[in-house]
Amino acid sequence: MRLKDAADASAWTEVLAIYGPLVFRMAQRQGLQGHDADDVVQEVFSAVSRSIHTWLDQDHRGKFRHWLLGITKRISINALLRRPLASVGAGGSGAENLLRSIPEKEREVLEQVELEYQREVYRWASLKVREQVNEVTWQAFYLTHVEGLESDLVAKQLGITKGNVYVARSRVMNRMREIVKRFEVQP
Amino acid sequence: MKEHLTECSDDALKRLLQEVPNQEADIVVIGHVEHCVHCQSRLYDLAATSRDWNAAKASLSSFDSLEYSREEKRYLAHAENPGETRDEKSWMEEFTRQWLQPPRHPELLGRIGRFDVERWIGSGGMGVVYKAFDTELNRPVAIKILAPYLAGIGAARQRFGREARAAAAIVHEHVVAIHNVESNSESPYLVMQYVAGESLQQRLDRTGALELCELLRIAKQTAAGLVAAHAQGLVHRDVKPSNILLEEGIERALLTDFGLARAADDASLTHTGYHPGTPEFMSPEQARGEAVDVRSDLFSLGSVMYAMCTGRSPFRAESSYGVLRKITDAEPIAIRELNPSIPEWLALLVQKLHAKQPADRWNTASEVHDLLEGCLAHVQNPTSVELPQTLQPSPRRGWWQRMRRDSSGTRKAMENSQWQTLYFMVGCMVVVGGVTELVMLAPTVDRAKPSRANSAIDDAAKEEVEGGNSENRVMNVTPERVAAEKSWLDWDWGDAELRAIESSSVELGNEAQKWDSEPRGN
Repeated sequence: MRLKDAADASAWTEVLAIYGPLVFRMAQRQGLQGHDADDVVQEVFSAVSRSIHTWLDQDHRGKFRHWLLGITKRISINALLRRPLASVGAGGSGAENLLRSIPEKEREVLEQVELEYQREVYRWASLKVREQVNEVTWQAFYLTHVEGLESDLVAKQLGITKGNVYVARSRVMNRMREIVKRFEVQP
Repeated sequence: MKEHLTECSDDALKRLLQEVPNQEADIVVIGHVEHCVHCQSRLYDLAATSRDWNAAKASLSSFDSLEYSREEKRYLAHAENPGETRDEKSWMEEFTRQWLQPPRHPELLGRIGRFDVERWIGSGGMGVVYKAFDTELNRPVAIKILAPYLAGIGAARQRFGREARAAAAIVHEHVVAIHNVESNSESPYLVMQYVAGESLQQRLDRTGALELCELLRIAKQTAAGLVAAHAQGLVHRDVKPSNILLEEGIERALLTDFGLARAADDASLTHTGYHPGTPEFMSPEQARGEAVDVRSDLFSLGSVMYAMCTGRSPFRAESSYGVLRKITDAEPIAIRELNPSIPEWLALLVQKLHAKQPADRWNTASEVHDLLEGCLAHVQNPTSVELPQTLQPSPRRGWWQRMRRDSSGTRKAMENSQWQTLYFMVGCMVVVGGVTELVMLAPTVDRAKPSRANSAIDDAAKEEVEGGNSENRVMNVTPERVAAEKSWLDWDWGDAELRAIESSSVELGNEAQKWDSEPRGN
């Protein structure tokens, strides 16, 4: 197996790790419960495995990971759109309003997916970084940057100097950025 | 030593961020950052753009808990470490139904070729394994299907077929038989002997360490399976408890999943450095991405035996990278420390299998097999059968005596330098405050390490001994190695890797951009 393919296979795992929870939670937020949400996840991943051949036949297919991102985004969007559309069949003016609002809705959903995706990527990255660094280093980052506490206070709380708080914070961010940049996050 | 850097220097800040190990210089720069507002903000800017900083804050603060919930963990578990939970089973089976041919009977999952697929058994590095029924020969079989996402990749298909054919050539009572290979269908699969029972991994999870007789028997039978594989020129490369099946009832051990096995002369595939799955049972030469021979399997057999003796794998760490470093650098905790009931000769036998240099192990699996056979006979009948000669504690012969002397000598040397290091560290602390903090900022391979200031000194002292020189010695970074590390999800960054990967991800970034601007056809 060539290196490129090996990297691709691992990309699959990574994408599954990031999109699994993402797709599941988005389905839940749309009001889908346990099994239904599970179905969405399954649908996404089985669609991916079904159309892999088509993708592989393309000449300029880009990276495996990127293609996976595309297909997963599309299916989760469809899944989100399916629910409101299901009630269109009922007719009436409510349905008409719903139809009119679709383009609007789709853009909203797209933005939401991007946002959710970014959140999941950072979450994934944060867990990876936490595996790599000392807990104190992580806390220095988290407490000052995410929780917004004063660095003096955090230094005292963690029992390290303020200079170390600054350095720890930037080191964590630097590592996190390294991980995040492998994904296509566009804030 | 200067207390503070007097001039602001971006280069110094960059070195801090890249975590180039240089403790003395770091203390000076960190001391400077403490008071210099300009450098505080430079450090911030050098770490990431303000867009990244903001995205990180917005994303991370939106979670109540960054840890994954139970449901979410299911997907992660499935992705990283295919387990056997009930939930995952039903999920996997449902997933399977969608691409098998429809079943003949509602209780079956579906059909593939002439086989009725009954249930999902497990997922491995390259494929998914099902229990199925051969409708023509009327017998249960196990079917391993190449993972759908790999089925379209030509190289993966070829490798799958090649492995299957190579493994099919091994006919032995301690190797799971391959009945049939179907590599031309849309999803290539191979048909294997179905073994009712559990894997050694499941057994260890269930019962912990095994009883002496039993573990010798399993080790002996596994070694016999290896002898058969090696005779065909195959190195298994993935000997681990989950690849050793224990047949129900008679508890015969069968070696399976030549998933990583390659014909030893298959040069095109030997240097890719791609190792799916857990690295915990790898040999040092595998971990370094070097060429391996049959002695690599002997090291892994040693790890399996260690696990049977103690109930846990020998080289454990939070991340794959940590595991690899331990495999190449560290000695596992002595078996008899974890399980005093294991006889010393057995601990030393495992220790020899665990020699970091292949030349210091035995040369062939059959030597190990014969030795284990002798041990088993001795344990079963200690009064009339002697322990094999090489294992007997005689000062004249026997490698093990020498080995014991060597290892205690090494330990002493280590203790000495550990103390020296500790004195040095304490000395430093008196001169300059802030060493403890610095130590805590040092990237650690092992997250489980206690992180309070006091123990951090000990850690640093240990790090000095264990990691200090190994940092340069072990990590010779080849592109293959970097790629291999990238391919594991949870690798850690050593400093050298960080830089190497930095340069390679520039290229990735460009591709990402290119992709974004292309219209998507799917």
